[in-house]
Amino acid sequence: MIKKILILAALIFNLNATEVDDLNLTFTNKTNTVVDIVKCKLFTSEERNDKIIEAITPMFDFQLMAKLSLGKKWKSLNETKQAEFIKLYVHRMKKSYSAKIDKYTDETIIINKITQIKKTRIVLNSSLISKDEKVEVIYKYHKPKKQIENKDKWLVYDVIIAGVSIVKTDKAQFKAVLRESSIETLMDKIR
Amino acid sequence: MIIRAIYFILTISILFTGCTNNSYIDKPSANTEQSITQDDELDEFSDEFEDEDIEEESDPFRGYNVFMTNFNDGFYIHVFDPVAKGYDYVLPEGARKSIKNFFHNLTYPVRMVNNILQGKFENAGEETGRFIVNTTVGILGFFDPAKEHFKLKPHNEDFGQTLGYWGVGSGYHIVLPFFGPSNMRDMLSMYPDSYVNPIVYNNENNSINLTNSTDESLMLTAYQRLNDGSLKLGDYEELKKDAVELYPFLKDIYEQHRAKLIKE
Repeated sequence: MIKKILILAALIFNLNATEVDDLNLTFTNKTNTVVDIVKCKLFTSEERNDKIIEAITPMFDFQLMAKLSLGKKWKSLNETKQAEFIKLYVHRMKKSYSAKIDKYTDETIIINKITQIKKTRIVLNSSLISKDEKVEVIYKYHKPKKQIENKDKWLVYDVIIAGVSIVKTDKAQFKAVLRESSIETLMDKIR
Repeated sequence: MIIRAIYFILTISILFTGCTNNSYIDKPSANTEQSITQDDELDEFSDEFEDEDIEEESDPFRGYNVFMTNFNDGFYIHVFDPVAKGYDYVLPEGARKSIKNFFHNLTYPVRMVNNILQGKFENAGEETGRFIVNTTVGILGFFDPAKEHFKLKPHNEDFGQTLGYWGVGSGYHIVLPFFGPSNMRDMLSMYPDSYVNPIVYNNENNSINLTNSTDESLMLTAYQRLNDGSLKLGDYEELKKDAVELYPFLKDIYEQHRAKLIKE
């Protein structure tokens, strides 16, 4: 009996380790792909950004990020509004990401630690290293019950740069706007 | 004397208000696995993202803060940035980096004292090593051989972080003219830090202060900020692109970043 439990425990432990290893590999491949695209001088900056966004889109759960940044307000929206908000939010994220690629020079990304904090949650701690400084970037992953079409198994739902969470910052801003005006105003602002 | 009394009273008062107001600090998430229903995806994340609701309510200086944020923004765009660009044009980057190093080296006592106050003796030692190496080999701190050759890393700590380390909450958020976002704890911490900061004027009997008057100290601080700012041209504009509403955006970034620095 004890032997069986031990084997089971070892199996579970091993299973978790593989998931972390898998994510490690996926993340490394993804960053390499992005760096390769950046270094390839054949593209115009627009083509390059489109290619990068295409490459990284499967690893992000933009829908969930949009929902989380609206918080409670999300549930009070009808389906059309929800769909519209997600569209605008995703567009804004991609635009913001493109602007950041344009600023990219010769930073390197290293993974410091990957921790599985729950069965469906993994935290990936990395550093963005440039000539003068080192910035901690944390990616928070969750695993949806069913893998979403065209998406990775594990999906990023928040990125924390030097302690600043993208979703939390958006949430604080959206809330401030919504306190004084309607969802339509907010959508106009992020358009 | 009066300043000291006011300072004391204010510190006591934030010790109380602060405690109810540190909700932004990440609480360790519960380990218990909850059953998740597909349609209530949001509830699954509520432990992580719902906690700022309480914090949002307590912003008594909001009206003033919004005004001051806009003032600082205008000042940055119309005054600071053009001046910094001119300065950037005149002085080569290497020189400006050296000046930055020089000021950083001078403020070593602030970092050393606050590392010790947080019981981070190893970091205080590393800071001291840096100060010795950079002041001598690094020619009065204009260069940073400590980092480049001796692998001695800086450990920035200020009194606001020290208070935070010992559990003092941030208190109400307040936007300072020219300096930007701050909170009660960090604003009041500038005063004790000025005792050990050579470039700030505290009082005439303080031998650490190299400046002889408040005017001199303000000039020097302004110059230091200009020099630092000239090395980060365009960063603020870049950051602002992600803003939907400037005040809550900068406020949240400041508070989250400070919380992170305190945790380290």
